[in-house]
Amino acid sequence: MQSLLKISNLSRSFKHVSGLWTSYEKLAYGPVSFTLDKGQTLAIVGESGAGKSALVRTITGLLEPSSGEIHLKGQPILSLTSQQRCSSIRMIFQDPSSSLNPKMTVGKILNAPLQLNTDFDAEKRDLRIKETLKLVGLLPDYLAFYPNMLSSVQKHQVAIARAMILNPDIIIVDEILATLDISLRFKIVNLLLKIQKIKGTSYIFIAHSMHLIRHMSDHIVVLHAGKIVEKGSASIICDSPQHEQTKFLLLSHEPDYRK
Amino acid sequence: MLINNEFNEDKIQSPLQYIWAIFKSKNIAVVAMWFIIVLVLASLFAPWFFPHSPLEQNADKMLLPPYWFEGGDINHILGTDDLGRDSLSRLFHGLQLTLGGALIITVCVSLLGMAIGASAALTKGIKASVLHHLLDALLTIPSLLSALILIAIFGPSYINCLIAISLSLLPQFIRGSFLAIEQELSKQYIVALQLDGATKLRLFRFGIMPNILEPTITIINRLFTLAVIEIATLGFLGFGAQLPQTELGSLIASSVDLIYLSPWLVTFPGITIFLVIMMANVFAEGLRHAVIEGEE
Repeated sequence: MQSLLKISNLSRSFKHVSGLWTSYEKLAYGPVSFTLDKGQTLAIVGESGAGKSALVRTITGLLEPSSGEIHLKGQPILSLTSQQRCSSIRMIFQDPSSSLNPKMTVGKILNAPLQLNTDFDAEKRDLRIKETLKLVGLLPDYLAFYPNMLSSVQKHQVAIARAMILNPDIIIVDEILATLDISLRFKIVNLLLKIQKIKGTSYIFIAHSMHLIRHMSDHIVVLHAGKIVEKGSASIICDSPQHEQTKFLLLSHEPDYRK
Repeated sequence: MLINNEFNEDKIQSPLQYIWAIFKSKNIAVVAMWFIIVLVLASLFAPWFFPHSPLEQNADKMLLPPYWFEGGDINHILGTDDLGRDSLSRLFHGLQLTLGGALIITVCVSLLGMAIGASAALTKGIKASVLHHLLDALLTIPSLLSALILIAIFGPSYINCLIAISLSLLPQFIRGSFLAIEQELSKQYIVALQLDGATKLRLFRFGIMPNILEPTITIINRLFTLAVIEIATLGFLGFGAQLPQTELGSLIASSVDLIYLSPWLVTFPGITIFLVIMMANVFAEGLRHAVIEGEE
């Protein structure tokens, strides 16, 4: 079966200017290869600076890859129009209070992707916005609200709604759980799992808590200094980690009360 | 009085309405705003409600002091000059040229500068770096000096003076707006809007513009202040408004010889320039603080 997303030998390096005329290339990550199937969740873990963010930014299209290819449903991603790309890969940012424009109402924030990527008329857009709000568990009243009037978990819900509104195939979730306290974290996790169940969306997850990752994801990719050091199904990696780095990550996220 | 809270009729204020509500509570800034509005209206409609023409000469009433001094005339509230022309009407006609010219410069330069600054910040490559570094080089010349150089090329007249001042103030404004937009571009909601597939224009209109109010107010205020000062300075030096046009700077220059005989001829235009600049700054500062408070 053809996989939904296929990353082959993708790498990205940044140019650092070191002197007046000289510069050197610093590798952010790569070459990495992995695949993601429909309805599956892939977690990318690694210590900070391992290249996780640069990797997902390349997949969303914010960064150009230095080498390697991304295939979406068998097609190379460069052959897709930006509309196709936008509506099949969406991203949820780490901190919703900075990723929602403070000067736009929730309604306008949700309207923008529809307006730009679909040819729906106003009525149909409105219907879709309300459907999506219902999916993430918000009342239509919130459409007239500005982001600063919402609580942090509601902002997360709006951010998820913005990602979901185009019914994408893949949602990239960038450490959104780190800023929430434990009960709200579970609310969001359950919401994401519910959406996955209903819509069959695939997730690429960046997270730190290994327990949550084990709970949520099907596959794990461990990045260390830009290279994949271990990949495989979540239960195998968590139960019998092979690489030092994986063991270290699992250990560092072991809560104190279990020791 | 009974406060009826039965029905939840609280309107959701847009950020601009909220900023306006905060601004209205700043009394001094509101006073400054009304002062500027009244000055603008007065200088616009000066010919209709001043009894004397600014050019009307009267040989019987030369160098009258303001009416509250010994020998003053109630028909000439601020006195007359050495040709018997009414000081008050000359002041308002001068204000028309100084304040009006400064407002025109502010509007034109801020629209043009914002467009150039935005295109420099939103594009990459040669065009952006030419716009950006060439203008940086221009910034090393003081704006008054470059205005003088331009006047020397164009020849002295009021219109040329406005053009020269606009051109000399443009690089500063472009630099300011470029920096403000550049800073805004790194914000996450802009990145999110980019991922929605927004075009540059839409990005600017909905993502950037509403969020750069505070730096924009600062640079527009600086632009207006400098425009007033430079129009008056060029007028004073004789490069700006030519006779018979009256302009605050040239008013001062023409009566500077009479400073011991009738000091008020120099005093009132000076006070007017001072008041215009101070009130504009108080107003802009109040607005800026309202924006900052509204955004947090």
